[in-house]
Amino acid sequence: MRKLLMSLWCSLLLLSGDLIAQTRTLTGKVTDANGKPVANASVVVKGTKVGTITDTDGSYSLNVPVGAKMLIISSINMQPEEIKLGTVTDYSLTLKPLEESMDEVVIVGYNTIAKRSLTGSVSKVNGDAMLNRPVMSFDQALTGKAAGVQVNTSSGLPGDDVVIRIRGGASISMGGNPLIVLDGVPITQGNQQELYNKYNALAELNPADIESIEVLKDASATAIYGSRGSAGVLLITTKKGKAGQSNLTYDNYVGFNEAARKLKVLNGADYNNTINKLKTNAGLAPSAFWGDIDNDGKIDTVNTDWQKEVLHKGLVQNHNLAVSGGSQRTTYFASVNYNENQSYIESVSQKRGSARLNITSKVTDWLQIGVNTQYSRTKISNLGSGVGTSYSGFPFGPLTALPNIPVMGPDGNYYTGIGGNTSVTSYQTPNPEAVTQLNYEDRDARRFIGSAFGELQLIKGLKFKSQVNVDYSSAFIDAFWDKEIGDGSGTGGIRQLDDNVKNTWSWFNTLNYNRQIGADHELNVLAGTEYTRRTSSFVYTFGAGINNPDLLMINDANYQETGGGSGMDKVDDGLASYFGSVNYGFRKKYLATFNFRTDADSRFGKDNRWGYFPSGSLAWRVTEEDFMRPCQFVNDLKLRASYGVTGNSNIGYFPAQRSFAPDTYGDIALITLQNPGNADLRWERHLQFDAGIDAVLWKNTSVTVDFYNRRTLDLILNNPVLATLGFPYSIRAENVGKLQSRGIELAVSTPVLHRGNFNWNINFNAAWNKTKVIATNSMGDDLYDNNDATAQFSIARPGQPLGVFYLIRWAGVNPANGLPTFLDINGNQKQYDRANATTPWTLVKDGSATSAIGSTDRVVLKDNSPYPKIYGGITQTFNYLRFDASLDLQYALGFYVYNQTKQNLMAYGNSRNKSEDILDAWTKAGENTNVPRLYWNDNFWTNTASTRWLEKGDFLRIRNVQIGYTLPKTITERIKVSRVRFFVQGSNLYTFTGYTGIDPEANSVGQTNIGLGIDKLRPYLSRTYTMGINLGL
Amino acid sequence: MRHIVSGLLLIAIAGSSCQKKVLDIKSQDLILADSAFTTPEKIEAATLAGYDGLQNPEFLAGRALIYVDVMGEDVYDRNQAFGDLPRYGLLSNSSIAQNVWMAGYDAIGRANRAIAGITANSSKLTAAKAKALIGECKFIRAVANFYLVNFFAQPYNFTADASHPGIPLITTSYIVNDPDANKPRSSVDAVYTAIINDFTDALADLPTNYPASSDSTYNKKTRGTRASASAFLSRVYLYKGDYANAKKYAQDVINGMYGTFALNSTVNGAFGPGHYETSEAVWSIPASITDNASTNYSLPQHYSPFGTRADIAVSSTFLNVATNPYFALDDKRRSMIIAGPGTLSALKFTNKYPDVATRADWAPVIRYAEVLLTYAEAQARTATGIDADAIDKLNQVRNRALVSQLPYTIASFTSKDDLIDHILGERRIELAFEGHRFWDLMRIKAAVTNKYDSDGQKKLPVQPFGAPKNVFPIPQLEVDKSKKVLEQNDGY
Repeated sequence: MRKLLMSLWCSLLLLSGDLIAQTRTLTGKVTDANGKPVANASVVVKGTKVGTITDTDGSYSLNVPVGAKMLIISSINMQPEEIKLGTVTDYSLTLKPLEESMDEVVIVGYNTIAKRSLTGSVSKVNGDAMLNRPVMSFDQALTGKAAGVQVNTSSGLPGDDVVIRIRGGASISMGGNPLIVLDGVPITQGNQQELYNKYNALAELNPADIESIEVLKDASATAIYGSRGSAGVLLITTKKGKAGQSNLTYDNYVGFNEAARKLKVLNGADYNNTINKLKTNAGLAPSAFWGDIDNDGKIDTVNTDWQKEVLHKGLVQNHNLAVSGGSQRTTYFASVNYNENQSYIESVSQKRGSARLNITSKVTDWLQIGVNTQYSRTKISNLGSGVGTSYSGFPFGPLTALPNIPVMGPDGNYYTGIGGNTSVTSYQTPNPEAVTQLNYEDRDARRFIGSAFGELQLIKGLKFKSQVNVDYSSAFIDAFWDKEIGDGSGTGGIRQLDDNVKNTWSWFNTLNYNRQIGADHELNVLAGTEYTRRTSSFVYTFGAGINNPDLLMINDANYQETGGGSGMDKVDDGLASYFGSVNYGFRKKYLATFNFRTDADSRFGKDNRWGYFPSGSLAWRVTEEDFMRPCQFVNDLKLRASYGVTGNSNIGYFPAQRSFAPDTYGDIALITLQNPGNADLRWERHLQFDAGIDAVLWKNTSVTVDFYNRRTLDLILNNPVLATLGFPYSIRAENVGKLQSRGIELAVSTPVLHRGNFNWNINFNAAWNKTKVIATNSMGDDLYDNNDATAQFSIARPGQPLGVFYLIRWAGVNPANGLPTFLDINGNQKQYDRANATTPWTLVKDGSATSAIGSTDRVVLKDNSPYPKIYGGITQTFNYLRFDASLDLQYALGFYVYNQTKQNLMAYGNSRNKSEDILDAWTKAGENTNVPRLYWNDNFWTNTASTRWLEKGDFLRIRNVQIGYTLPKTITERIKVSRVRFFVQGSNLYTFTGYTGIDPEANSVGQTNIGLGIDKLRPYLSRTYTMGINLGL
Repeated sequence: MRHIVSGLLLIAIAGSSCQKKVLDIKSQDLILADSAFTTPEKIEAATLAGYDGLQNPEFLAGRALIYVDVMGEDVYDRNQAFGDLPRYGLLSNSSIAQNVWMAGYDAIGRANRAIAGITANSSKLTAAKAKALIGECKFIRAVANFYLVNFFAQPYNFTADASHPGIPLITTSYIVNDPDANKPRSSVDAVYTAIINDFTDALADLPTNYPASSDSTYNKKTRGTRASASAFLSRVYLYKGDYANAKKYAQDVINGMYGTFALNSTVNGAFGPGHYETSEAVWSIPASITDNASTNYSLPQHYSPFGTRADIAVSSTFLNVATNPYFALDDKRRSMIIAGPGTLSALKFTNKYPDVATRADWAPVIRYAEVLLTYAEAQARTATGIDADAIDKLNQVRNRALVSQLPYTIASFTSKDDLIDHILGERRIELAFEGHRFWDLMRIKAAVTNKYDSDGQKKLPVQPFGAPKNVFPIPQLEVDKSKKVLEQNDGY
């Protein structure tokens, strides 16, 4: 590479230099392996400044001094060739592409390094692995692509959580998503909630702009990011122009979304039967009936499938136009993109328009400057009615709405009555179609991510780089609840507006010294500083009692009540950092890396502000040893080991400072403690050991194996403390607790079959991970998830896997009497009879009265954790003649999901619609079923969290299938384009699983570590069919 | 080379100023602890935080009153919104118990914090002002302790000397995770003594009126005053069975020692928008459109049939004269019992909390009617024979609701006990749906009879006085966190 650059400079110098006398003219043509001409290849006389570059047809003509002995011909991404000059004047040749695998360049933090010199654990995902995929954000496309990277898409709703966990949960209560750095810019991410809906900040990036993503996993790789590195780092590199290659590509796809699954609920007739059986079995009057909706004196046997009403096929389309190219001095990449992803839920969609411009210019031979910028606008139309368990939300609304009432009333308006049902209990579901159509929450976000850098070549091998970065995003949210239905009824309609801004700026400077000392020593030293500042603010207004709903304003003229406020948006902090690294290689055989970073975070108390994060690693390239010579099949083999410390910066908003905030008591203003503070709060420390093998076998089979052991000390927890301390919410941020994650990762990439025109490649990865809680707080308390106080199904308990389920044991339905039975802590089987008000609990064995099953009967289900034991992906590509195909599979094994969706849909004490499973209810003695006898209000079995609702989550998912056809050259040449490819694609086609809820990956708690694996009425995932064109000029 | 060095120097200088800029960040929306008590205004604002603690929707803004009602027989929880509480079937990890406990101790923590802040910064206040503010804190603390001890411990008269476990008494402001906060439960007697001491101190130091510079009436009805402290003391003594003191403190209020209070002319005159600051209100928890409990917590959403929830229906036990013998068929208070709209038309609800739209109904914690009835009961119990003074106060409450019935005279009663029964019956009707009934039964060792299940049709077994599950469990999480220093209630 260096050689190549040198030769480029030489040729550049030549262009401006004097011409030399006494010459002869050489000509030739440079082509690539496919016979395609290579333009802008450099042709230089070795040892001189004499040279030229090839034309667009690959030909060159060069006057060389008579004594010239050797030509060097090189081009970007090609292996340079040397040609000995003879007497002939025509020197044409074919350049071979640079070899893949071990010769790849990998970006590690503020530096790039050849993959063969890498001593840490880094996975690289190329942009093409994500290209054309109909995803709403690029992180979804990472699923199954890299070993140890678990990507969990919570639902098919735009903006919903995409939980990324590298090597399992790294924390208990403080975040866990990796740091994401885009071209050096630390970017705002996460799935944040601004009003009622979530949004994913990563959806604001155009996936097609991504050249590659490096996943930094071990401490050797992540320590350079110090306090932000503990959960791993994703380094995203966007596409850059290549000198001499002018390209224009247009890529599109168009297709539709549909719900990947639909839970089955009762139809009108079954609903009436079931509810009435529940009632009459309990000695109550039946209450579910069809009614006379249209007042024609006849009963209308309505049968409404509410899911069918609010679901549709949503349009998906993407158009991406990119141009790139450049001269030897200046390269550019520019793209414009429009992406539209209409959900399978009516009136829900995400639309993004984005533009990118990346320019790098070598102003002089010692100065290079550049900018990488993107601007995007993302509009999300979301449900104003909410999601999850909110009464009017999706899927709660359509799953629970009465099936025996119509969508529209006889008056042509949305039907809001309860039909012929004589009474309904706990039935607050407003007409789902009405709330879907009338209420909305629209988010209009604009985002600018940009960086500008200058790089100085100070002396040979010493470079100074300075880069300023900014990530600025603003969003305007307009939420509207119509006065006719749902949450807006009763208040005359409500509109809420929220305008918010998030800004991150950072500035880093690096000095990088790269030197070959003698033949044996390679040295790369880096030192740098970085300053980062993050701020956020919002302005919120609301109005209730709307006069003119169409006017987008909130003031006293148009609303009966108005109000609002403004403030900081929970982010206001700064980070000062100093870092350095040394990479040393001896004879390209023995490699050592040392990284060090110190970070000071404004959020800690003055005395605990600085954190120190060192790491070191060693590697041995065994194949460089003589004794490996006989092992011809081992092309490359590297053993490596690393150890280091990283930190966690997801620590909240001014967590250390005891502080008060304004509040009100009716009309009276006051201030109240909002954080008890903890002046001693200090960094969470993650100590990670990693040992790995990188090998290339039989030419092209690459294998990477890693073992790691990570211990997290001084975990920052929102420690639940005694209520008698009087702290808000009875929590205090403290450094307590220890976690340990151990695991093995395996990644294999191999050509399975290359025969004639048929190629078949497989990329396989697997990760085995176990995260164990070593200690919680000083009391050894069980910790529950902070995000959802009602989701107390899983815990962090010392000695147990993180997030292990902690539930009462369900013991089935007693076949003799249809009563639900449970095991108490001692294993006694007890049954519950709602009909018996005095002694509802009896022992199954003898019918004697006994104590109630309660929370003390919960047991830790040691092997049942929401984290898969093994997970990963399999990507296969096939080529045959002009056809190509790819198949992406994702799998996760050995984990459990709490099916709270089903639990909600089986309740015996409300009039909501039920899961079809209820039809299996026990009816007569001797019947074996898992659904107790129907008895109104007999809710213990559905109200109590038990293993009844715990299910195996194991799945294998067909994430993506793509089949493409590339037009033959004979046709493309005629229409003057270089490439035309058509493809059809299916995404999330099918999931092989025994799980019966919404989806085995459904996650209702959001960004969580303990509370993963709780399926509580999140929307379904979507299945997408698309077809498209890839066009290249 | 010189350029390089000077360039690097420049970077270093710019860097150090940058470091300052990114590290010295002062929050723009938080008041740091060291500046929270620096001015008289801030000190007063921090004192008021305690009321905001009481106003927690899990506590006095709504649920605390509701729980007492749904454990009584006059309503039923038609949506099972409160789980098995109405069936006395809570489990030890009940979120109801957990939330009430946390809200109560949060309010107490706020009060203790303010007391510590006022004491440490008393030089910034006049002595009188400091005393008055501490008086408010003690008022807040006493109110919280009173509700907590009644939810989590058996009534005062459960044991002869009230030596049974009450709740932990907390009077310290904690800064760190202090093991001192892990206190065992004091006896109910000790808790009542602490409550009475706090209210007595408050009574001495609180103002009668708040200055006209603020909204005087609003402050008077929602913050602690001598009148509200005295009224609360009368209730505490009534619960304790100390009728002489119950009478004394009620009498002081009735005699106008702490300002003028009177019943409104109509039975519903103290309810609904615009009626919260009448002379009938002694102390209420306010709400407004911007400071209200959510749909799932507010009084109107639970009680009114016009909200989306309409959980709490009025039981036939309350409506029938057979089971509510003093509730005349033409009693004007029946006008506040309404049928639901549409599908709820067969059911009856209270209309005391009509503001379903903005959910801004105030929680009427103490109304003047209660003070009159407490006086009447205490007087009747302490007097010999059928007491005319007690009848007079009973009549003041009852007469306003009469249509065809006649006011009581001494001849209306067969005995002293008969008079007491009438007063208790009147209290049940007048204070219905305001968080009194279940505790009024317990304090006289009565059982809950004629209580209906959530369907409103099936009767539940009689719930006797002293049954273990008449009280909430100490939240299991707190018991665990205390390493069993907190003793769990029987039956959980």
